[in-house]
Amino acid sequence: MQHTIKLGLISTVATIAILTTGCAPKTQNIDIHNDKEASAVMGLDYRDFQSAAQDMTQSLIASGAISKPNGGRYVLVVSRILNDTMQHIDTDQLVKKIRVALLKSGKVVVTTAVGIHGAEDQMAMQTRNDLRGHEEFNQKTVAGKGQMISPDLSLSGKIIQRNVTVDSSTQQVEYYFQMSLTDINTGLAFWEDEKIIGKRGSNDSAAW
Amino acid sequence: MKHIILSLVILLSFVGCDKTLQPDPIVQITDRCSSGDIVIKDIKERQKKDGFMQAQITGMNLTDHYFKVEYSVIWLDENDFTIDTILSEWTTIPAYPNQPFYINVTSPNTKSASFRLYLKKEGKIICNTQSN
Repeated sequence: MQHTIKLGLISTVATIAILTTGCAPKTQNIDIHNDKEASAVMGLDYRDFQSAAQDMTQSLIASGAISKPNGGRYVLVVSRILNDTMQHIDTDQLVKKIRVALLKSGKVVVTTAVGIHGAEDQMAMQTRNDLRGHEEFNQKTVAGKGQMISPDLSLSGKIIQRNVTVDSSTQQVEYYFQMSLTDINTGLAFWEDEKIIGKRGSNDSAAW
Repeated sequence: MKHIILSLVILLSFVGCDKTLQPDPIVQITDRCSSGDIVIKDIKERQKKDGFMQAQITGMNLTDHYFKVEYSVIWLDENDFTIDTILSEWTTIPAYPNQPFYINVTSPNTKSASFRLYLKKEGKIICNTQSN
């Protein structure tokens, strides 16, 4: 009798397991070059960051703000990009794309020796502090004093989220991507732009 | 008679093999079934003082309804090699009924010498073969 119950239990569990596995959506890689068929999500996804970065880069290059009047390249530092949304966002998802595009433009070079929270690449400074005067290292190969280049321009920005209730079952989420390029010498903003991404969907969808 | 037919066949087969590639047009509408809804009216390009290339393409929405137009620009250097850039991703712009729309693009760097622009109506287009 006990044996029969056990067997029945096992077969039930096995059936449920098989059925559940059968219903689970199949995992597949996203074709990031043609992902239009996938429905939009209320939160920010890679498509939104790509679109915002593309628009900002196009606007920045078209403005002429990154072109030095007498030729040469500006040195850019990335300042604070504030995430004022309900989502955990690494703002590098936006900024890295812009940085890469600006570097490829040939008009800007980005410094990683300075940053809002100290050097972005701490090794640049650390090698100086640690290796300068160190007898184990050939001092001719150690970075000399006064060799670092200070930035000319600073890129800052903010991502804002605003939730609006449309009706009892629909919500609207607005995302504002705002960016500024400031001339460090004068403190004047050479370029500014804003891109808005709006999404409307069910109240059941979480935007974080 | 046989000789004439044979000569014609040979001649036709040679004509069939002549696949001389035509140079790509600068602007191409890629969804052929809806190309009657969009027409390209003007293409302007210039080299800016700072070395970047700028282009403005004027299109026209010939329909009575609003839709979005998607476009992608491929930038080429002086040797016709493509330039890898985020600026080649597909972008959408609005096209209002019976109104022109403008696409303004700036090259990703100063090495750009020319470009190709591909455009289509946004979304999945289902061709009505009878009307085309």
